[in-house]
Amino acid sequence: MKLPIKRLISQIILFFSANLGYPGYPGLKTGFCYPFFYCQACPAATSACPLRSLEQSVDKGSFAWRLFLFPLLIIGFLGVLTGRAVCSWACPIGLLQRCTGRVARKFKKTGIARKLGKHKAEKYLRYTKYFLLIGLVFVTSYLIGFIFTDICPVGFLTGTIPVLLLNPGKFVPNYFFPVALVIFILFIVLIFLIERGWCRYFCPVGALLGPFNKISFLHISVETKECTHCNVCSYICPMGIDVPNMHRDPECILCGKCVTACPQNNITFKRR
Amino acid sequence: MKKMLVIQVTALLLVSGSLVGMFAFTPVYNEVRSGIVLVLCLSCLKLEPKTIANFTFETVDNQSHPSFVLENLSHGPVFLHYSGDACAGCDVMYPVVKDLFSIDFGKQDMFHTLVNFENSTVAYIYVNIHHTTDELRNAQTIYDKDRIGGIPMFTVITLGYDNGDVKPKYTTVYGTLAVYGCTTDAERLTYLTQLMKESIQMYNENSAGYPHH
Repeated sequence: MKLPIKRLISQIILFFSANLGYPGYPGLKTGFCYPFFYCQACPAATSACPLRSLEQSVDKGSFAWRLFLFPLLIIGFLGVLTGRAVCSWACPIGLLQRCTGRVARKFKKTGIARKLGKHKAEKYLRYTKYFLLIGLVFVTSYLIGFIFTDICPVGFLTGTIPVLLLNPGKFVPNYFFPVALVIFILFIVLIFLIERGWCRYFCPVGALLGPFNKISFLHISVETKECTHCNVCSYICPMGIDVPNMHRDPECILCGKCVTACPQNNITFKRR
Repeated sequence: MKKMLVIQVTALLLVSGSLVGMFAFTPVYNEVRSGIVLVLCLSCLKLEPKTIANFTFETVDNQSHPSFVLENLSHGPVFLHYSGDACAGCDVMYPVVKDLFSIDFGKQDMFHTLVNFENSTVAYIYVNIHHTTDELRNAQTIYDKDRIGGIPMFTVITLGYDNGDVKPKYTTVYGTLAVYGCTTDAERLTYLTQLMKESIQMYNENSAGYPHH
């Protein structure tokens, strides 16, 4: 079976696994945190968003160590084993971005996208997700009680919209709704314009998983000595990584596109 | 290569050991389940439920009233205030309710008191869903009449007359009361005051027939 098909099957199975909580179908509500980005407000959610647990652990100057460590350990466990592979093999938002990727790849060929993609600020923009994680998940929660999940576009997509659709007329927007709607629209525009735009620049869960790429058992290895620098791998990489020169890059989501694309078979998955 | 393997194995043992330890020796699984997965913060949902604040005898799935409610009903109407950590809506409502009953307590505290409200006794019970007992937490599902499963939630339990019997009668409102036209703290206070006055009137009309009285 080809790698993209395996990955698609994995994403679909995990999407359904993440949605076994709808009352009666079968109504499985667990006490786990997802190791990826998904909202517990989804009517069918089985688990909690890791960010929600983290925010709650540091709410307004408090510190609940159990709620703080629990999501970090779940993410850490998978992170040590597979690095950021969760983003491309399990995350439902990754699956969504896979669907919008075709449009984004077309846009990538336009002049403006090429120009922006080569801009030196682009690589610094990738640090935004770390600022979001530290700033909006930890610092503002700790200092003023403002939490990221109140304006989260993923929560809007997987929580707010399904609740509105399943309960027509039963809910009205609250004061966070307009801001969250604007951010959600920007999120949708982003993922249609930039392949894996959310994962690249903004995903705080990706920021938690990224550093584990440095030590994960599973990683992508490039035989640099054999490399002909045709750059097919870099061109096809959804995360825009300079693949021949990467070594355990925190941005790599181990999707394996470069592995499949390399004409010399110089790129492989390594287990250690 | 060997150094990396040592780091990997150490990290895996440390993380998996800690995770197993947390499952085995701490209540974190139940805390996440009951405090995050089963009870939603309505602010995170970015929505407020459109409900009607009518008093009813029917609890959710006809569950019986918890004993702490029945005991407190012998003093007067019971005001159950469900709140939680990291909940913007709860933060909005928390000072309003403190003003309503002229009381002071910490947001993470468990709090129960009898207050004098307009010359009547009201049992006020504050439940922070993340710092409470199972009995108080479970009562939320009994009074969640519109099956919202979210916080903030306010339940007023009073007495009503039903086919020859005096029984507990309650209503529940949710969120920051925006659906009832309240956008300021003053309006929220006025709304809750009216709700309490209504419940006290019902209580006074029926308390003589209440068996626990």
